[in-house]
Amino acid sequence: MADKETSDVSSSQTSNPLSRKLNKILETRLDNDKEMLEALKALSTFFNENNLRTRRNLRGDIERRSLAINEEFLETFQVVKEQLDSVYGDVKAMNECCQDMTNRLKVAKEQTHDLINQTTQLQAESHKLQMKAQVADVFLAKFQLKPDEIKALRGDRSGALSQDFFQALARVKQIHNDCKVLLRTNHQTAGLEIMESMALHQETAFERLYRWTQNECRMLTGDSPDISPVLCQAMLALQDRPVLFRYSIDEFGTARRTAVVRGLIDALTRGGPGGTPRPIELYSHDPLRYVGDMLAWLHQAAASEKEHLQTVLKRCEPSDVQIQDALGHITEGVCRPFKVRVEQVLVSEQDAVTLYKLNNLLKFYHNTIGQIISTDAALLGTISEIQDLSHRMFFNSLNCHANKLLDKVELPPPDLGATASLTQTLDLLKEVLTCHDSSVVTIDDKRQDFKQILTSVLDPLIQMCSVSASRLNTVDMAAYMVNCLYLMQSAVALYEFTDTRQEMLQAQVEAHIDTLVNEQAAFVLNRVGLAHTYATIQQHQPKRGPLSSLDGMDTLTVKSAMNKFDSYLASPDSLVLPQCSIILSSRNRETVKKRSIDLICQAYQLMYDAICNPVNEYRDCQAIVPRTPDQVLKLLS
Amino acid sequence: MAAGPYNYSYIFKYIIIGDMGVGKSCLLHQFTEKKFMADCPHTIGVEFGTRIIEVSGQKIKLQIWDTAGQERFRAVTRSYYRGAAGALMVYDITRRSTYNHLSSWLTDARNLTNPNTVIFLIGNKSDLEAQRDVTYEEAKQFADENGLMFLECSAKTGDNVEDAFLDTAKKIYQNIQDGSLDLNAAESGVQHKPATPRSAISTDQAPSKEGCAC
Repeated sequence: MADKETSDVSSSQTSNPLSRKLNKILETRLDNDKEMLEALKALSTFFNENNLRTRRNLRGDIERRSLAINEEFLETFQVVKEQLDSVYGDVKAMNECCQDMTNRLKVAKEQTHDLINQTTQLQAESHKLQMKAQVADVFLAKFQLKPDEIKALRGDRSGALSQDFFQALARVKQIHNDCKVLLRTNHQTAGLEIMESMALHQETAFERLYRWTQNECRMLTGDSPDISPVLCQAMLALQDRPVLFRYSIDEFGTARRTAVVRGLIDALTRGGPGGTPRPIELYSHDPLRYVGDMLAWLHQAAASEKEHLQTVLKRCEPSDVQIQDALGHITEGVCRPFKVRVEQVLVSEQDAVTLYKLNNLLKFYHNTIGQIISTDAALLGTISEIQDLSHRMFFNSLNCHANKLLDKVELPPPDLGATASLTQTLDLLKEVLTCHDSSVVTIDDKRQDFKQILTSVLDPLIQMCSVSASRLNTVDMAAYMVNCLYLMQSAVALYEFTDTRQEMLQAQVEAHIDTLVNEQAAFVLNRVGLAHTYATIQQHQPKRGPLSSLDGMDTLTVKSAMNKFDSYLASPDSLVLPQCSIILSSRNRETVKKRSIDLICQAYQLMYDAICNPVNEYRDCQAIVPRTPDQVLKLLS
Repeated sequence: MAAGPYNYSYIFKYIIIGDMGVGKSCLLHQFTEKKFMADCPHTIGVEFGTRIIEVSGQKIKLQIWDTAGQERFRAVTRSYYRGAAGALMVYDITRRSTYNHLSSWLTDARNLTNPNTVIFLIGNKSDLEAQRDVTYEEAKQFADENGLMFLECSAKTGDNVEDAFLDTAKKIYQNIQDGSLDLNAAESGVQHKPATPRSAISTDQAPSKEGCAC
């Protein structure tokens, strides 16, 4: 603003150049004018002396200096220019080069255009071919065996089977199956051909597998066969060929069969290490032990063999029938050595009790082993044959005994008790029944057996007793039979399933007791002389007139007989038949006594009624029969 | 893998003996099925079970024959002692009579088995402590006097059952290692499956199978 004012002031004074100049100088602020300061500074470098001459020359000096500086400039820029020129030259050359190259490329491009087209085509084609190759490879991979797979299938000289074999075999099967897809599409020729070749591979592979399995099985004859996992796998693979599978199982069975036979023979003849446990044959003097040990051994062997078989077939799904068939085959071999030995024992054994125990033992094992092996198997067939034999031998022995009884019938002993043969036979029967009690067979078998045993022992016994009693008088015979039957009854009473027999025996006893009772009563009436009286009264009919008028029925005779009867009443024991007192069973004895008393009382009642009946015209009947029937009963019982 | 348990190297045959009702069948059932059979019927004759165990890295198959305790089966069960490598003799700790009969069982076992048979005494029903009739100490002394191994077990709870069976197997295995049990002899009760299998294939297979089974 001050400047403006100043300029305003100066404008008014423009007319005067001096003043203008002065003003200008005065207005100059040296401090602020940097250019001025700079100029002055530069001036100070060469303007050293301030004198007139120098002042006059100042201008020339400055101009000279300026010239020198410009020259220097020129020189310097000259160099720059030259360099730029050279750069320019280079760039130009490059440009030319590039131009040249471009041209050449252009030419080349024109020339190669066809080639590129061709290459592209070829490339596309190659791509397609590659695709095809890939497809073909995949196809081959899917439908053809790799060389090492074929090698694995064919195997090497050692004939050993490897895991690769089974993988290859599985692949062959897979391919064979996949071919069915091919057949459904329009690749039927390929499908058929591949199927055919795979079938061929399969056949050879299975043949090889079967041979290997066969060999492997043949070696499994040890006590405990070493069943390798490969064998299990082989069995699994063979399941696709049922015939070969069956043959392989048969082969295994044959090997095991040999092993089992050898094992049994070893157990029979060699026993354990150092002879403990002792060989089974050392017990051949003890039939039960001998046969029992053999059967137990067979039971254990059957169980073990079943396990071995299940181990071999663990990866297969064998049917029960297959397992049972194989087991039957394995255990078939021991049948003969076993049968021969047991038959020998049975044939040479005489004792019915031992035979019976053997029979039970065989029955038990038939059942026990039957839980492992099916009943169709030869071993069970053999056991059941032997069991039949033992059954027959046992009953033979019993029948033999019975026949001997009948061949040589003993006379009853004077005491009308048991004969020696009766006692002996009953002892045998008891022993047989007792061993059945401790035996191991089922209740049903027991019931069946008991029936037959009782029949084959008791029937001949009763027959024997009857024959031996036939020479006795009635009373002796009745007493003797009661005694014999009683002994049989008491022998049988302790055992189960003898109820019907007991009833039968009891019925026979009753019959004989009836005889005894009648005889006893008749004896008493005879002795007291009432027999005639009684018989007459029994037969009397009223139309024939009063009893007292009949012969031998007069009051006197009757009275004297009644007197004798009275004395009998005083001591009833005096008129007991001797046979009745030697009845062994007190119960039977009591029965006879009681029933004969009843009978006598009945007779007395009849006579009493008849005598007291006025129709019969006995006078003073109270004197003839002083006692009432009730009194008689009281006295006798 | 399924094939695993089948690859055993030995078969040991055991027999279980003792009075009726001491729990022989239950012990076997507990060992093979790991379950308690509450209403166990009387054994008829003999029954058998198997289980594969491991002793010192060896797989061993135990074939266990469980005998009937009833007297009427004595003649039958007697035949099964033959060829047993181990005999488990069982009594019931709540019934003194079963303990008193041990000496007769022991006589049978000694007479009918081979000298190397390992006899293991088991006091069963140890869960019924309240009804105990035979003390542990007494039975232990009996076992020591007769050179038997001894444990009290419970087939019901499963307590010690495994140990009894395994300890017996260990002892038998030890006998084999010592050479006191001759495997080649028939009826030693032990069957050995060769450790180096015959066929070349099995050798190829062995390592891989073991890998799978672990």
